[in-house]
Amino acid sequence: MAEEFNTEGMLDIYLFENEQLLEQLQEMVLEQKDAECFDQDSINEIFRTMHTIKGSSGIMMFDNITAISHKLEDVFFYLRESHPEHVPHLKLVEHVLEVADFITEEMDKIRNGNTADGNPESIIKELDAFLEAIKKGVGEDALMPENVHEEPKQFYIAPVATDASRFYKVYITFSPETVMANVHAYKVVYAMKEIAEDLLYSPEDIISDESSGETILKEGFKILLQAQCTETEIRDLIGVGYDIEKVDVYECKAEEFLLGFDFGNQPPHIDLESSVEAIEAKAEKNSEKKAADKTQMAPGDFVIQTKEPGRPKKLAKDKQKGAKDAFISVNVSKMDQLMDLIGELVIAESVVLQNPDLKVPGLNLSNFNKAAGQMSKISTDLQNVIMSMRMMPLTNLFQKMNRIVFDVSRKLGKDIDFEMIGEHTEVDKNIIENISDPLMHLVRNAVDHGIETNQERKESGKTDRAKVTLSAKTEAGKVWISVVDNGKGLDRAKILAKARKQGLLEDGRLDSEYTDKEVFKFITLPGFSTNEQVTEYSGRGVGMDVVVQNIQTIGGALEIESEAGLGTTMTLKIPLTLAIIDGIVMEAGTSSFVVETGVVKQFVSVRENMMIHEPNGDEYIMIRGECYPVLRLGEWYGLKDYRKSVEDGMMLIFEVEGKAICLFVDKLIGEQEIVVKPIPSYIKKVKGLSGCTQLGDGSIALILDPVGLIE
Amino acid sequence: MEVNSEAIRQTDNGQSVGNERDAQKDKYMTFRSGNEYFGLKIQYVSEIIPFQAITAIPETEDYIKGLINLRGKIIPVIDICLRFKQEPFEYNDRTCIVVINVQSTVVGLIIENIAEVVEIQEENILPPPSIGRSDRVQNKYVYGIGKVGDSVKLLLDPDKLLNDEDLSLADQANEMNIDEE
Repeated sequence: MAEEFNTEGMLDIYLFENEQLLEQLQEMVLEQKDAECFDQDSINEIFRTMHTIKGSSGIMMFDNITAISHKLEDVFFYLRESHPEHVPHLKLVEHVLEVADFITEEMDKIRNGNTADGNPESIIKELDAFLEAIKKGVGEDALMPENVHEEPKQFYIAPVATDASRFYKVYITFSPETVMANVHAYKVVYAMKEIAEDLLYSPEDIISDESSGETILKEGFKILLQAQCTETEIRDLIGVGYDIEKVDVYECKAEEFLLGFDFGNQPPHIDLESSVEAIEAKAEKNSEKKAADKTQMAPGDFVIQTKEPGRPKKLAKDKQKGAKDAFISVNVSKMDQLMDLIGELVIAESVVLQNPDLKVPGLNLSNFNKAAGQMSKISTDLQNVIMSMRMMPLTNLFQKMNRIVFDVSRKLGKDIDFEMIGEHTEVDKNIIENISDPLMHLVRNAVDHGIETNQERKESGKTDRAKVTLSAKTEAGKVWISVVDNGKGLDRAKILAKARKQGLLEDGRLDSEYTDKEVFKFITLPGFSTNEQVTEYSGRGVGMDVVVQNIQTIGGALEIESEAGLGTTMTLKIPLTLAIIDGIVMEAGTSSFVVETGVVKQFVSVRENMMIHEPNGDEYIMIRGECYPVLRLGEWYGLKDYRKSVEDGMMLIFEVEGKAICLFVDKLIGEQEIVVKPIPSYIKKVKGLSGCTQLGDGSIALILDPVGLIE
Repeated sequence: MEVNSEAIRQTDNGQSVGNERDAQKDKYMTFRSGNEYFGLKIQYVSEIIPFQAITAIPETEDYIKGLINLRGKIIPVIDICLRFKQEPFEYNDRTCIVVINVQSTVVGLIIENIAEVVEIQEENILPPPSIGRSDRVQNKYVYGIGKVGDSVKLLLDPDKLLNDEDLSLADQANEMNIDEE
């Protein structure tokens, strides 16, 4: 290996930062996809983003990324400077996303330790062509008023100073006889443009506003200049002529420059006596006063009649990108360790508090109990905080879906709105990773199959815009994520027909006997699709199968609801694993089981005469007028030494999602807070078990999943 | 259990010169199951613990005995004897659980009788017999035969041990699930 200098640490930072930048870029672009064009702030931001990416990629020597970001930067530089009228907006959006995708792909390669060998040539060519097109477009549609000079190029470089830049305040007094002082002033400005990195002048409208000439004569012409040149050079450029009476140039600081003209209240008193420092000091005092006044013009505000897509103009500096909290990136393994330890703490705590040593009769434990209560409180708080650390909002995931909706809808020519509800819902990081793929499939299906083409919608009389809504909420210890579309819904008849063709239907059962739920479940079978043709996005009959498999591995479920002609709702219900829940511990045979407290409605001790035995072996029980199916846990799981007679054991009534069942166990141990741990992946999924946990005495109890048992 | 702790200490003190991996390379942990001696590459073994209470899991294969609590971590344990479809043995105080870590899957193996850690050079390893006695389940998991002195040890491939047969069963189980739903 050659002596390559170690870029490891830098690489991580590079990847992390650029990932963030690209995400923000994508978000911003998608936000404005429906606008007529990008507003000024966005253009600047995109330009800056590409500039930053170009710079850092250059340092890391990723040439293809550098090249492509440079190209996009050029495009946006042009947009910013010349502001052409007719920019094909959607095409531009696509190009930006294309570039973002390319860079993301390359970064993935880098992250995995491969070389970034993607060829940006084709995209660069496209961008070149695009740029040419819009440049030509400007020439044809020049709406700017005719001028002696060519179309004024208004500079608009972000106030990013390089180390070599200097700032000047230039004040020009024209001789009072000057006619059309504004034109002369413009001559000066035009001359300055050659060297200026940023330029600001007052009065601004010297081209079309005749009265500006008067203003200039009265108050003089003020210029704020950021350039790398010297004062002499400036003076040379301004030149000497009969019209210019006096030119004052003095250097100022960047902050003053950024503040714009604060000459407002002060008469332009040129102080030639005091030293530059004193002048600057005075200016500083002013700038402090004016610092709060944000309505000042500042370079960045000035210029260009933009086609405002109805958004209030904000100073680019002001734009808050959401609440930018301070973040620290933490190694996930440390978080895992922390999670394990807190789990241990819960168990250890219960071992201490339920210690048999304490069960000495007659012992006064009031002080101990108080202290124990305090400790419990703190440990509960600690648990909550640590749990929340691994939780991340679904926002990013939903944003990705936004992108997918956009892409697919564009390619298929459908107009689709995308709505997000509850994207701030927080979910464990593991879960996010596992549902990313399924969610993508569901969203694609909604766009591809669910939403009809614009034509079809019109024909069927649908007036509202096609919409795909992603919503998330937590309920009953699970997180529900739904993909809702207002498309054409699932076609029950078609599905049944396909099922019949594939031989999936039971003999003797009428179509009408199948519940909607059963019919819809057919689409989740591998290879099942009612599409006649396979499109680029779907139709092979594979997607739904993958969704169900993935969801099952994390212990979740998929629910499908649909109404013909109105739309479809696909809901993923995923348990919040690694939770600490309140559970009821029970015994059956030699095994211990736990079930979530919320599910248990009652426990009753029953008598034999309340039981109803069906001839096929099913058992039911009548409790207070209600009939419940009975499940004997010991029998169901083939446990050893369980109690057979119902009079010796205990019945628990579970109710979940409207369905109820009665579970027969040997005895109840008690209620306890338990740490839910997944059953090790080596062991294949057992119906009715959703996890395991350690009890206070160190033994292991299996966690029951009521939904699995009810089925 | 002293033999075992010695064995473990031996591996730790392995050749200080050179890569740690190399020090472990040719070392195998050997144990007896039924009438044969088996060997397992020591790099897969993370620890050896005395037998402890196992929580059974219903509706799993017979060789999956259940779960144990290993210092807070819950890991599944399987009975090697039953895995190899031999006669099950009574658990006694000589029985121990060898915890192995194969590609981040952690599983405990219940072993009747742990022997020692031996070093078997590559040239002493012969390929397993390809013919005859194919009904013996072990053949799937044995990737070689190691000669140690006068005896031979059947060298096990932990990957196959954990994954092989189970895969087909898993597929079946999944299909059943889908049908039921």
